[in-house]
Amino acid sequence: MSKVMTMREAISQFVHDGDFVFIGGYICRPPFAAIHEIIRQKKRNLTITRSNAADDFDMLIGAGVVKRFISTFLSLGVYGLGRCFRRSLEKGIPHKVELEEYTNLSLPMMLMAGALGIPFVPVKDMLGSDLLKISSFFGEKKYKVIENPFDGTPALLVPALNPDVGIIHVQQADENGNAQVWGIEGDCKWGANASKKVIVSCERIVSREIIGKDPSRTIVPDFRVVAVVQEPFGAHPGYAPGFYDVDLMFGSLYQRASNTVEGFQEFLDEWVFGVQDRTEYTQRYIEKFGYAQFKNLMAEFDYSYPVSYSY
Amino acid sequence: MTEITSEYIKPELMACCGAREIKDGDIVIVGTGFPAVSANIAKYTHAPNAKMMQESGVYDANPRRPALSVGDPCLNPGAAFIGSLVDVMGMFLQGGWVDVGFLSGSQVDKFGNINTTVIGDYINPKSRLPGSGGANPIGLLAKKVLIIALHDKRRLSDKVDFITTPGYIDGPGSRAKWGLPEDCGPEVIITNKAVMRFDKHTKEAYLESYHPGNTIEEIVENTPWDLKIADDVHETPPPTDEELRVIREIIDPMRMINIYLDRGYI
Repeated sequence: MSKVMTMREAISQFVHDGDFVFIGGYICRPPFAAIHEIIRQKKRNLTITRSNAADDFDMLIGAGVVKRFISTFLSLGVYGLGRCFRRSLEKGIPHKVELEEYTNLSLPMMLMAGALGIPFVPVKDMLGSDLLKISSFFGEKKYKVIENPFDGTPALLVPALNPDVGIIHVQQADENGNAQVWGIEGDCKWGANASKKVIVSCERIVSREIIGKDPSRTIVPDFRVVAVVQEPFGAHPGYAPGFYDVDLMFGSLYQRASNTVEGFQEFLDEWVFGVQDRTEYTQRYIEKFGYAQFKNLMAEFDYSYPVSYSY
Repeated sequence: MTEITSEYIKPELMACCGAREIKDGDIVIVGTGFPAVSANIAKYTHAPNAKMMQESGVYDANPRRPALSVGDPCLNPGAAFIGSLVDVMGMFLQGGWVDVGFLSGSQVDKFGNINTTVIGDYINPKSRLPGSGGANPIGLLAKKVLIIALHDKRRLSDKVDFITTPGYIDGPGSRAKWGLPEDCGPEVIITNKAVMRFDKHTKEAYLESYHPGNTIEEIVENTPWDLKIADDVHETPPPTDEELRVIREIIDPMRMINIYLDRGYI
């Protein structure tokens, strides 16, 4: 049975106010089309998570959809600190997001534990740091330091995470949701598989036969997936290997806009509320910056050698 | 030895200081900017078998342009391995295979503790910074940690506002209390004025060398702790012609390193 639908349908059916949402990506393949749709539908009180968050999480925070953020890091990369993130935490604009802070080792491991169905996982980081002196909505359950039962050394345990819904953007998927990626993965595989439901946004929908030609690339199997949305250019201004480059011009535009509350609101009015979907967004991009600029982002093709799975 | 006559900028010298800490065959986990430039200088000069990895999941990339982030598109084609955060941060770093970690900090103290979380109070921050990201595990689990910082009394501190990434915490024996190996940890702080190395016994950073154009007095003046000075304190050797050639012709022909001049690395 096909799970193909529009992003509007997917977000409205499967992301609810108050949900705990994993959003994958690491500049590579952020599911930006889904992020804009979440903002457009004015979801509220979400708990969001990912290791190494960037402009997409900054935007969700600025748009007021986030109550809690299980975080490790948020910045705009070459464009410096996340403006909405800072305004939220320093000035309570639009409101103060509650943070539970981990690291780029512990958080991916917590998602891995969630995916593996185990209750917690020992990690070797955070010890000796002030990250152990702060906790927020997890309270006492942020971590436990125990004596390693096998050798008596201090062992830090962190809890498994099982988000209500995981959203990832991938290069290709079939209509049932078998999702394939190549290139930098970040925490997509463990994050999606830790989630109770998975929304797969993809550059292209391919046949089950195509998936079967290279099944080692599949990171989420169809039975974990509730929705498949074809969204070409869906990770912009992030990138998708083999499809398009990161858009530094647009990153700079977002940074300048988000410097002020008014500028941020104008950005949302133009690029999120002012368009119905990713197709209109892409049209607006081309109208505003020209086809040459759009074309310039498109990847050259430099194919891998095909591999054979035959016997 | 040939006489060095080339002009250079401070960020180039700092990148070379980092490179000189990397040994042939080292596995280096790098961020963007200085760490990547330093590791590449090492690779193209004295350490051809040094290999780099990025926390996003990449090992031994072969980028055709300087990477602007650890998730940069140019890290994908040509890499020897691409996986996930769990692969690099878990399997390789936590697994104990990373020799050198390279970090920068908004605030760094005399024991090499780094703050990238918050300036001021945690609950009501004066300035909210990005957070740990990969820094905390890199600082704890890489065998040797190199730190880049600006040399003034705001960035250097007797004690950081928040320990995001532990160095030697409160000094000798502190890491052992947490079950962390004592022989790992910060090796040097490379600033725009000096190289400060950590004393093996006191675990405190002392002045090893001052950069050409900077004086010991100026450095002591701008260091907020009682900075000890090495008996053999000397001028930092300037970049060699070969190091400069590698930076300018191979690693960074677009001269992106110039952005550090605007950030105060002068």
